Amino acid sequence: MSTLVEARNLGRFYGDVVGVSDVTVSIPTGVVGLLGPNGAGKSTFLKLLVGELRPSRGSIQVLGHEPFGNRDLYERLGFCPQQDALYAEMTGFEFVAFLTRLAGYSRSDAEVRAVRALERVSLSDAAHQKTRGYSKGMRQRVKIAQAIAHEPELIVLDEPMTGLDPIARRDVVRLFTELAGEGASIVLSSHVLHEVEALTKDIVLLHRGRLLAQGAVHEVRALLSSHPRKIEIKARESRRLARALLAVEGVSSVKLSRDGHVLLETSDIARFERDFAAIAVAERAGIESYEAIDAGLEAVFDYLVEASA
Amino acid sequence: MRAFAKAALLIAHVHFVRSLTGKRLVFCVLLAHLPALAGFVASGISSRVGPANLAANLGWMMLLQIAIPLVALIGGSAVVAEEIEDRTITYLFTRPVPRPALLIGRFVATAFLLAVVAASAVFFLLLACERARGKGGTFDAHFAATLYEAAVLGVVAYSALFAALGAFFKHPMILGVAYACAIEGFLANLPGKNQSLTIQYYLRSLIADEAAPAWRKVEGFGSAAFASVERAHIVLAAIVVVALCLGAWRLARRQFELTS
Repeated sequence: MSTLVEARNLGRFYGDVVGVSDVTVSIPTGVVGLLGPNGAGKSTFLKLLVGELRPSRGSIQVLGHEPFGNRDLYERLGFCPQQDALYAEMTGFEFVAFLTRLAGYSRSDAEVRAVRALERVSLSDAAHQKTRGYSKGMRQRVKIAQAIAHEPELIVLDEPMTGLDPIARRDVVRLFTELAGEGASIVLSSHVLHEVEALTKDIVLLHRGRLLAQGAVHEVRALLSSHPRKIEIKARESRRLARALLAVEGVSSVKLSRDGHVLLETSDIARFERDFAAIAVAERAGIESYEAIDAGLEAVFDYLVEASA
Repeated sequence: MRAFAKAALLIAHVHFVRSLTGKRLVFCVLLAHLPALAGFVASGISSRVGPANLAANLGWMMLLQIAIPLVALIGGSAVVAEEIEDRTITYLFTRPVPRPALLIGRFVATAFLLAVVAASAVFFLLLACERARGKGGTFDAHFAATLYEAAVLGVVAYSALFAALGAFFKHPMILGVAYACAIEGFLANLPGKNQSLTIQYYLRSLIADEAAPAWRKVEGFGSAAFASVERAHIVLAAIVVVALCLGAWRLARRQFELTS
C-alpha cells in the first residue's frame, strides 16, 4: 500500500492560535476518515493537504508533491471545501463544467464529465438551475460533483455530509464506496462518526490540532487498554448476575439500568470475556443479549479525547 | 505559457458573463454616467456655458477626477477580492492552472467592461454638453477623441492598480478609497511636480493638447505643466504592467485563510 500523505512535524498557526501542531502522520491509499470535534484542526490539515495553506512548521507531501500551488498535484486531486460557496449566477452544470475545463479538459469533454458527475450525485434534474436557488443539500452535492468530475486519483472532502438529508447521505456514502472501488483514494473529514465508520475503518483522529491516534478502528481500540470498556447485558436474573460480575478482576463498576439491564465497565475486556460465560452459567442468569455499547467509532473518539485532556 | 493563456481566457470569459448580470456593473454604470446627467441638467438650465467649456469642466472635474477612479475602484478591487470574499477562490487554486491566470483573466474582463462603461459615459456626457447654448463654441472630434482616450486609459490604469491592491491586501476597497482621496484627489491638485506621482496627471496630460483650447479654460488646468502625450502613454502602460506583474507575483505566493 503506497502513501498518499506524509506529514512530518506539521504545524500551522494563525497568529497565536494553533491550527495543527506537530502532526506526524502517514496516510496510506484508500479511504481515510479524518475525525475530530470542531476546532480539532481537521480543516486546517486538509487546507495544508490541498495546498491552500503553507505549513508554519514541518512539512507535508501529497502523492509525493509539496502541495502549495503545485499544478502537478492538482491534476491528480479533487477538493470539496467545507465552505458553502458557489458561483450564484451559474447553473450547477456550468459550475462543474467550468472547473472541469480548468482541470485541462476541452469544452466538450468537460461538459460530458460534468453531466456524468452531476448524475453521480443525483443532481441531473437540477443541473440547469442557477445555484443560487439550490438547497443546502444540493449545494453540497454540486461541490462534490466538481471534485470528482475530472476523475482525480485523490479526492479530499471537508465535511461532505453537512447539509445532506439521510437519503442523500446514504447515496453519498454509496458514491464514495463506488469511487474507492474504481481506484480513487479518499480523505474525508467529518464529525458524523457513524457515517465515516460506514465508509472506512481507517481513521486519523485529531484533537486541539494534535494527532490523537491513527489506524484501523480496531488498532485504535488497542490503544485503549487503560480505558474501561462499557458492556450492556440483558439477563433474566440481572440482579444476581450483576452481583457476581462485580467480583471479576478488572470490572470497575456495575449498575442496573431502570429497565433491568446490567451496565458495567471493565479495564480488561479480554479477561472479562473469558470469565463471563462461566459466571453466567454458574449464576443461571438467563442471558438474553450481550453488547459492547462502546464498540463504535464515536466511543473510541470520546475515550481518546478524554485521555488527551 | 499556453496553459496560462488558456486558463486566463477561460476565467476572463466566465468573469465577463457573470459580471454582466452583477450588481457591481449596474453601480459602475450609474456612477460613470453621473457626469452626463449633470451635463444634461447644466445644459438645460444655464445659457452661459458653451458645449466645449461645459464638456471640459465636467469631463475633467467629474468624470476623470471622480467617476473614473471610483468606477475603477469598484470594479478593479473586486478582481481578486471578490473570489476571496465569496470564498470561491479555493476552487480555482486547486486546479492545475497558474495562479496569476486568475488575476489576469479577471482583470481583462473587468477592464474591457469598464472601458465600455467609460466610453459610454463620455458619449453621453458629450451628448449632454452639445445641448448647451452658451459661449465658448462647441467641441470638435479631436476634443472628443482625447476625452474618450483619457477615460478609457484611466479606467484601465486605475483598475490594474486596484486589482493589484486586491492581490496584496484583504480589504482593497478601503485602501483604494484612501488612495483615490489622498493621492488622486489631493496630491493631483496641489501645484508642483508632486502631481506627476498621480495617474490623474497623466490623464490630464492626454487632454491638455493645445488643439483643445477648451481644456485650458478650466480653472487650474491652464497653469499646469503637463507631460507629453507619448510620455503619458508610456507611464500609463507601465503602471498597468507593473501593477499586474506585482499582483501576479503576490497572488502566486499568497495564502488565503478562508472561514468556513
